[in-house]
Amino acid sequence: MSTTQKIGLAVVLVAFALAPLVLKNYGIYLLTLWCVYVMAAMGLNLTVGYAGLISLGHAAFLGIGAYTAAILMKAGVAFGFALPASALLCFAAGLALGFPALRVRHHYLAFATLGFNVLVFLFLRNEEWLTGGTFGISGIHRPSLLGLSLDGSAAFFYFTYAATITLALLLAWLIRSPWGRAFAALRDNPIRAESLGVNIVAYTLLAFAIGAGCAGIAGAYFAALVQFIDPSPFHLTASLTMLLMVIVGGSGRFFGPMLGAALVVLLPEWLRFMKDWYLVVFGLSVVALMIWLPGGLLSIPDRIRLRSALQGTDK
Amino acid sequence: MTPFLHVELCTKHYGAIRAVDGVSFSVGPGEIVGVIGPNGSGKTTLFNSILGQIRPTSGRMEFCGEDITGMSPLELSRRGIGRTFQTLQVFGKLSVRDNLIVASQEFRGTLPGRLFAASDAGLGRHADEMIELFRLQHVARLPAGSLSYGQQKLVDIAMAFMPSPRLVLLDEPCAGVNPAMVEQLRELLLDLNRTQGGSFIVIEHNMDFIMRLCPRVICMVEGKLLVEGKPEQVQANSAVLEAYLGS
Repeated sequence: MSTTQKIGLAVVLVAFALAPLVLKNYGIYLLTLWCVYVMAAMGLNLTVGYAGLISLGHAAFLGIGAYTAAILMKAGVAFGFALPASALLCFAAGLALGFPALRVRHHYLAFATLGFNVLVFLFLRNEEWLTGGTFGISGIHRPSLLGLSLDGSAAFFYFTYAATITLALLLAWLIRSPWGRAFAALRDNPIRAESLGVNIVAYTLLAFAIGAGCAGIAGAYFAALVQFIDPSPFHLTASLTMLLMVIVGGSGRFFGPMLGAALVVLLPEWLRFMKDWYLVVFGLSVVALMIWLPGGLLSIPDRIRLRSALQGTDK
Repeated sequence: MTPFLHVELCTKHYGAIRAVDGVSFSVGPGEIVGVIGPNGSGKTTLFNSILGQIRPTSGRMEFCGEDITGMSPLELSRRGIGRTFQTLQVFGKLSVRDNLIVASQEFRGTLPGRLFAASDAGLGRHADEMIELFRLQHVARLPAGSLSYGQQKLVDIAMAFMPSPRLVLLDEPCAGVNPAMVEQLRELLLDLNRTQGGSFIVIEHNMDFIMRLCPRVICMVEGKLLVEGKPEQVQANSAVLEAYLGS
């Protein structure tokens, strides 16, 4: 990362930190929701973008994380324990879902993960004794931090924002480590990777499990943010939306999910004046993007850089 | 010479088709052996059987006295057996330098340990040396997938040699490479053979390349080992000429 990029990043981070000073409650809520989806989409980006394993079941992990946190917090467990429990349960579920990925890839894997999402959704809707069924779980309290209440929208935003930055730093470190390179090798060419000693079984399972763990963390924050959960936000549609966030921003690019989540969460609000035409504009924009920029919005600078570098080698 | 790799009656059948039919041969330490034969003679199937990409129908493979029959490519790579493929197999989105690092990083430390290792896994200098040896300095930071075919071929071969393997199986290293680069490749392989001391088995259709690189050549026809010997003996063999040119 160049100095200019570092300064730009610092400016953006500070701007987000100052945003609650000028935003109303709904604006702060949307910003917090964006943080939640960034955490989930960063996990999906690891699985799909870095390791090349398609997943249409990410909303299921978000749901498992949200329900785990909600059930535990309703039982009087502190958020500080409910959060790792959500992450660990999703990590274990992700590990289990990784096994089909050892046998199938591409659209076959997409359908296997889609089936998992449907199963989890049906479980959340039908197992009323545990999940409250379609009535969901209400009255989820927001956590407190060192005796300070996080009930206020700004306070909870800062709490979620700090978690998002922490998770982003951890993932950045992971991607920069040799693991990140092994994930990329798995994505680009698994047969070649195995011939070079890359344990594709271990890395496939890890890619799913870590991605799911991130969704679990996001789910716990989601439950505390909305304070009422029912199965509907964890439907297959939500998995497709998160995949869209990753692809629109730039699959396999670190800041892709952040940009993608911003567009998917915030764009509908900006396009409200269009009323029913919003979906038409949104849909056409996505189609156009996939045709001209299949690498996502963040592929633009790389395309320019690569073009000039290749021109340089020709000389 | 003590056999380093010993292949005993390797057979691979696909239904009634005998892709490899009872092939036996040995390779000594530091030896370069060429494998020639017309298209469809079973050379790549033999490679894939040795390297665990496919399971042989019957036969036995030994490497340094250990039975390696049916082992996975991962297990074989851990034992120091590397390979290149007939088609290009680089990691397209990774830079050339990262391609070389990933080719060797998994042989260092444990899986959890690599999470906490330096970003280049301590292989940056070695990767730079390989980049210099293969004359890829000007494209080292570019995504491997953006390079020309010949350059990608060099990256592909350099990756196989990054972990300093004890045995490398090269499947048509000259395919699609221009004549000037073929000569550079031959010199590189001889250099690596001298410096790293590994054994090579090379499948190739470029006869000039194979005759000048390999002191011993095997010719396969219709899944069987037809002739084995010095390049000039194989080249002059009437059965080989008939297999290539037809009667």
